[in-house]
This record gives sequence, structure tokens and C-alpha cells, in this order.
Amino acid sequence: MPDLRLGYPNLGLGVGLRTVHFPHLLQHRPAVDWFEIISENFMDSGGRPRAVLDQLAEHYRIVMHGVSLSIGSTDPLNRDYLARLKALADSIQAEWVSDHVCWTGVAGRNSHDLLPLPYHEQSLRHVVERIRLVQEILERRIVLENPSSYVTFTSSTMSEAEFVARMSDEADCGLLLDVNNVYVSSVNHDFDPFEYISLIPADRIVQFHLAGHTNMGSHLIDTHDGHVIDPVWELYRHSHLHTGGASTLLEWDAKIPEFPVVHAEVMKARQYMTSTLNPRVSWQAHPSLQETEGAATVPHPASVLIAEVE
Amino acid sequence: METDKPQLDVIQRWMQAVIVHPDGVVAGIESAAAHSEVAITSDQVEEVIGRSHSQTSIERLEVYANAYRARLLEVLVGEYPALIHAIGEDAFVDLANGYLEAHPPASYTLAALGQHFPGYLAKTRPPKDKDQPDWADFLIELARLERIYSEVFDGPGIEHATAMSVDGIQSMSIETWLKSGLIPAPCLRLATFDFPVHEYATEVRRQQSPDPPEIQRTYLAITRRDFVVRRVGLSEPEFKIMSALIAGQSISEALESLIETTDQTSEVAADDVRQWFHNWTVARYFIGFRPGG
Repeated sequence: MPDLRLGYPNLGLGVGLRTVHFPHLLQHRPAVDWFEIISENFMDSGGRPRAVLDQLAEHYRIVMHGVSLSIGSTDPLNRDYLARLKALADSIQAEWVSDHVCWTGVAGRNSHDLLPLPYHEQSLRHVVERIRLVQEILERRIVLENPSSYVTFTSSTMSEAEFVARMSDEADCGLLLDVNNVYVSSVNHDFDPFEYISLIPADRIVQFHLAGHTNMGSHLIDTHDGHVIDPVWELYRHSHLHTGGASTLLEWDAKIPEFPVVHAEVMKARQYMTSTLNPRVSWQAHPSLQETEGAATVPHPASVLIAEVE
Repeated sequence: METDKPQLDVIQRWMQAVIVHPDGVVAGIESAAAHSEVAITSDQVEEVIGRSHSQTSIERLEVYANAYRARLLEVLVGEYPALIHAIGEDAFVDLANGYLEAHPPASYTLAALGQHFPGYLAKTRPPKDKDQPDWADFLIELARLERIYSEVFDGPGIEHATAMSVDGIQSMSIETWLKSGLIPAPCLRLATFDFPVHEYATEVRRQQSPDPPEIQRTYLAITRRDFVVRRVGLSEPEFKIMSALIAGQSISEALESLIETTDQTSEVAADDVRQWFHNWTVARYFIGFRPGG
């Protein structure tokens, strides 16, 4: 019997599928446990991306990770989008479908950003209701990720961790714990990331995300453009202890290196699946914010393909 | 008391109005759109958005405002390299910012972001001085071509379709063949231009530095094979007959309308037609016959 979390298996150590790696993956078929795709980059594709995905889906297990569900928006849910999402999930037999605890736009606009919610009873009721509806439409339990964020609302009456915990219990959904996002937000909003993770119900966590980020000097931005830093690895160790282990995926979306470099990065996770925390690393309320030179400053994994023309 | 705080829909409309404002966060907070939701000045923004130990509330909102514009511009820059080469990056950014105000992103996919850009350029172009195609026409045509490339590249294609059978064609009687129509490949687009924009765009993509071309009426078939976009120049008659076939005319109807609209003799046209059908079969512009009535 495989180790199931909310009915979903622990897939091991995976990598975010990016188009620059298509040739390598098709040629070498590397031994990777699983891939995560950005749903919106494939759900309407009739070209090479979809063809490559179909080939890879024959050999690898695939998870769909979306950026436009906008579960927290006060606009109506986009039924056409959900139908296309479901069609893709059914077609490639996705292991599960995930997105973010956020809103991406309102009044018909999509900012293509993962905008944070104020955390209070009204927003919680709103999000829970929409998750239930989405789960009905998709006919599966969805998995939602804690966002990285750069603002907090004075109207919030609870912490993000409390909101996410209550949301997952009340809506009966899974959670994707993005360890790097916890770290980024903890620095930006002055909270203890270890305490945050301890507040998240372990049995709801289906998946972890790992990624690099950019230090802007005054704040961190979730750019997915480099290696995972040590404090994030220690948070991952803590998360692994908290849950007993879950599917783990590395995201790398800007300045993307060769595939073996990306794969090697996620394989480092094995070193942190140990039972003891590193005593050298403890949380600091205000870690040194040393600006990263020449780094990307625009977060977000969704991308547009550049047409190949003869 | 939660009831004293703005409702979720109000705070979302306010924040969106603030971070998408073209003149920045402070202008966004002071805008009518934001004020109609939460009537505060930029000095009062901490009543809504908390500050951190190292950033003011305005600076925190600017993270989203900067990312919004940068992300969308990055998408348009990627889609229109030839247009950028022609007008330069600064002018392109000005145009793109105007476009994003006129057509803010609404779709769930960034692939749709640039779909109205050629039309926006056509609508906002400077007045023409003369009847001849001018510089603005050239830029609009470049944008139109590059958008077609994007749509053909990731749209439906024929990579998994069975090629039109030569045996099947040869077994048809001439009468049956003439009464038949042709089913175009879903990735096939026909387009006319006043400049050879396809050559200019190709040189840009090959990292060359082309000069703007002279006026030259141009007829193109744009399609996709093996997941790569192909563009082929056509003669005017070939373009016309392909257009007629795509519009649903039978082969005989398309041939008749071609003969009526050209000064070529039917004999010359017949030679051309043989060569065209050969080319179309090789290029897989059409994927099957539609039986005639």
C-alpha cells in the first residue's frame, strides 16, 4: 500500500517542467520521480508543448499546478477555465491539481499575479465556499499553496497560517506547503516560519515546494531564479519532520540552468530528510537582507512561448 | 469589529486600482477608481496596508505594481521581436503601455495578452499623409504577422493527422475531383501585406539587422509542420484560389472565379494549377477532400 496523503501518493522528488528542458528530457529521459506543469501553459496548447507533455506523461507522473484559478477573487468562478482544467487533468491523468491561496484579479481583469487576501472570517467563508464548488466541478480534491506575499492588510484578524489551516479543514482540501514562500513571507512580515509550519495541519499537506528567491535588501521576492538557500532547507527539514514526508518539487523559473543542475538541486532534499534539526540554524526576526546582485525581480512561473519560425 | 473594515470585494477592487495604475501606486491611491472603493489619501494608506520593519506601505504595494507592468511587458517583448527591432525598445514600451491601458489582461492565459495589439496599433496609428503604405502600415503589418506566428505555433496543427492520400486523389474521376472542396489544415492562415514583412521578421529572428523594406505587395501562406511555423510567399493567383477554397468553394468554382479575375488564359492557369496542387500536397495546406453536391 503506497504512502497516501488525503488519497494522494508521495511521488518523491520532482521538478517543475519548463520548455527549455524539453530537448534534454526527450533525448535522455532522465530518472526523475515526477514533473509538475503550469496548467495554463498547456491547457489550450495544440502545438509542441502539449505534444511533449503527452509524450512525457507516458513515462512520468504529472501534477498540474495552476496560477489563474483565483480562488479568493470576488469575481464569479470562470466555468470555462475550470472545464478546460478538468479536461487537461483527465487527459494526462494528472495525479492532482493545485493552485494558490490568492486572487489574481477582479472586475474581469487578470493581473497575472498571485495577490494576497486579507485573512478574516468573511474571506475565509468566501474561499471555503469556492473551494467546495471547484472540487465539485473538477470532481477531485484540490490542493492549495500558501502564497509568498509583500503586503499585509490591517483588516486581517488572523494569521495566514491560521487561515490556511482552517480553510483546508473546513473545505476539505489538500495543501501544498511552499517552504520558500513561508520563508519569504516570514522575512517580509516578521513572523516565525517554524511556528507557521507547526500550525499547518500535517495530514493536509500533500506536497512541498522548494525554490530560490531574490533578496532586494529591504524585502525578499519569490523569483524562483536560483538555488535554495540554507534557511529554507532547514525549514524543509522541519516540514519533513512535521509531516513524515510528502511529494517534494523544485521550481526554477528564471535564469534556468541545464536540467541536470535543476534536478541535482531537488535531490539535495534527501539530506534534509533526517530526524534532527540543524542546531546552527535558528530563526531570526530580521535576518541580514543582503541585496542579490543582478537578480530577477518579477515573480511568477507562468510564461509565454516564443514561436519557432522557419 | 470586522464590520468596520472594508468588505473583501471592496478591498480587491481598491488594491487592483492601485497596483495597475500607469502612473504608479501613489497616483493609483489618489485615483477616482480607488477612491470610489476606499477613500483614503496616500498619507493614510497604512490604515489599509500595514508597513513592515523595512518598507512603507507604499513601497510594499509598489512590489505588486512593478511586477504587474514588468511581467506583461516581458510577454509582449517576447512576442513582437521584429516590431521592437523596427521601432526600438523605448518606443515599443510606450506603445505597449498604451495597449495595456486600452486592453487590460482579462484571460486566464498570458498567451492571449497580445491578441489585440495589432488592432490597437491600427486604431491608434497617426493619420496618413498619402495613399501609399507608410511607416505606420509597416509596423502594423509586422505586429499582425508576429501575432499570426504565435497563434499558429501553439494552435491546433496537423502533426498527428494523416496526410492526404495521393492514391485517393488519383483514383478520383475528374468530375468528382472538380466538384469537391478541400479541407484546410487548422493551422493554415493566408495573409496579405504591403511589405515583405516575413523576410524582415526572419532576419530579426536570425539576429541580423535588416533595414526597413520597400513597398512590395506580399501574399503569404503561414502554417506549421513538425511544430515549427512555416511561411511561404504565394503568387496573387495562387493566393486567390487558396482563399476561395478555404472559403468553401469547390475546386471548379475556385478555378472559375480565378479565371474571371485574372487576365491569364485558361491554358496557363491549368499549368499553374497542376503545380499549385503539387505544392499544396507537399506543404500539407489541405488535409482532405470535401465531397461535392
